Amino acid sequence: MPPFVLTVLKIVFLALLYFFVYRAIRSVVVDLRAGRPRSARTKGRPAPSAPQTTRSSRGKSPRAVLVMDEHGAKLGSYRLDGTLQVGRAEACQIHVDDTYVSQFHARIFSRDGSWFVEDLGSTNGTYLNSRRLTSPSQLRAGDRLKLGKAVLELRR
Amino acid sequence: MQAPAQARHATGAQLALTILAVILSGTAYVLVTLGKTGRTPPDVGAFVAIIGVAYLLAHLVVARRAPSADPALLPCAAVLAGLGYAVIYRLDPDLAAAQFGWLLLGLGLFVLTFLVVRDHRSLDAYTYTIGLAGLGLLLLPIVPGIGRTINGARLWVSLGPLSFQPAEIGKVLIVIFLASYLNAKKELLALATRRLGPFRLPEPRYLGPLVVAWAVSLAVLFLEKDLGSSLLFFGIFVIMLWVATGRATYLVLGLLLFAAGAYAGYLAFDHVQLRVDVWLNALRPDLIHDQGYGQLAQSVFALGTGGIAGTGLGQGNPGLIPFAPTDFIFSALGEELGLFGTTAVLLLFLVLIGRGFRAALAREDGFSRLLAVGLTSVLALQTFVIVGGVTRLIPLTGITLPFVSYGGSSLVANFVLLALLIQASAVGPGREPRGGRHRFAQARAAGPVEGSADTTVVNPGSEPA
Repeated sequence: MPPFVLTVLKIVFLALLYFFVYRAIRSVVVDLRAGRPRSARTKGRPAPSAPQTTRSSRGKSPRAVLVMDEHGAKLGSYRLDGTLQVGRAEACQIHVDDTYVSQFHARIFSRDGSWFVEDLGSTNGTYLNSRRLTSPSQLRAGDRLKLGKAVLELRR
Repeated sequence: MQAPAQARHATGAQLALTILAVILSGTAYVLVTLGKTGRTPPDVGAFVAIIGVAYLLAHLVVARRAPSADPALLPCAAVLAGLGYAVIYRLDPDLAAAQFGWLLLGLGLFVLTFLVVRDHRSLDAYTYTIGLAGLGLLLLPIVPGIGRTINGARLWVSLGPLSFQPAEIGKVLIVIFLASYLNAKKELLALATRRLGPFRLPEPRYLGPLVVAWAVSLAVLFLEKDLGSSLLFFGIFVIMLWVATGRATYLVLGLLLFAAGAYAGYLAFDHVQLRVDVWLNALRPDLIHDQGYGQLAQSVFALGTGGIAGTGLGQGNPGLIPFAPTDFIFSALGEELGLFGTTAVLLLFLVLIGRGFRAALAREDGFSRLLAVGLTSVLALQTFVIVGGVTRLIPLTGITLPFVSYGGSSLVANFVLLALLIQASAVGPGREPRGGRHRFAQARAAGPVEGSADTTVVNPGSEPA
């Protein structure tokens, strides 16, 4: 085996090794963009997985949440503070009396000054602006959450 | 999973990376044989087929049990193991044959871990059982009759024909114990009521088990003379305590205790003094032929010989380094693949460790979070201690480079560790750790496919869907 062939093979191997490292890092970056709550820095740029999301033009951090029934009648209003559980259970801070809402349906919480919503494994799912939640997602003023028949609107 | 699109993306990426990892392992094996003998190995087809099937099974079990898990963890470990195998084969084909068996056993246990521990959070229920088992394994080599002293450290256990290092699997159990214990007690430990000089400490009785852990790590140091394990256990323990409580006091206190322990060890043991002296004087011409000094000198020479791109796999003389397949595998790799190769290895560890910590940050329940931190810290500390040791950054401590070094106990234990880390990295919306939600979350996580049909069954508290 001539030495230069081995040298070429070595370089090919190292290139392949770095290609793997590149792919491993890339898969991780794609994963970060696709699923995680968007950070303030990437605000306004829609995630690749959510092209149909309709964002409010204001898009600021919400301060309160308004609970409405399916006809838009106001059922209650809550100030965002600490962690709020939404569900049919009495223990929930945001108590929604609707048979299509699970006992502990969703959770609204803050992290680094931003508000997020997370589905707690509900039977019928939580929809943020008509997109079903699959991971904790950031909330902005004007967003609408749908749990069962109830609608929660985030207010400034 | 409730995250079908994301999960599909993750499993697809993992499959692609795993296939690439198998190709890389095969290429490394071919190149090493080519470089050494000038011929391609006749059994390369069988080699690639066997590890291909084994890794594919490992991939499938991850895709089925934890579809939203981090896609980079398994493939990174696979590439590291493949590179390690090639270098070991190059140094000693008989050893490589054994390592091949250990690799398959490791992957078998990886799959078994997923099948037995359907949800890693169920381990949270066995805090003290797991803790005692871990301690037992750690101290097993002290038991007269079965403990064996090899290369100055008493960390082997021989049972009939079988000999292994129980501390390797013990470290995984200790991490699970610490994650569970610290998660349950973190509020108490974070609440400082007693003052000790500039430090504020929690009630002494809550510190009990932690003092035990510290004492055990010292016992390992003094009775087993195993510097590496002792350092590893104490490091994990301090890091997890710090992460659980969020109090830097523990970190400072831990460093002080470490400094005191290290100095005491230096004064008490000849072999610790020798390690430090070797570290400082490895390249002194008059000492270089001494075996202790020579091994570190050879390690540094090997890295120097390798230069930027290395001599090429199979074409250097890494056999000159004592303990090349175990402690010094990083230097052997550096001789044949150069700075590029060693950097790639460090990058792989960086991805592995970075992803582990990232998974910990993303977890909501304390147990998963601490478990991910602890398991990742094991890999990080081991890598730092051994790579720092062979490159003469810090005094050398015999410990394996995870997934790369020869060593059955280490390889098998690291694959079990990886299985738990991958489980802990899986996202499950609405997984709540404790209380009434616990059983429910567990049932959901155990379900292979979380469609609406079986969620109705496991969540009877809900309504007609």
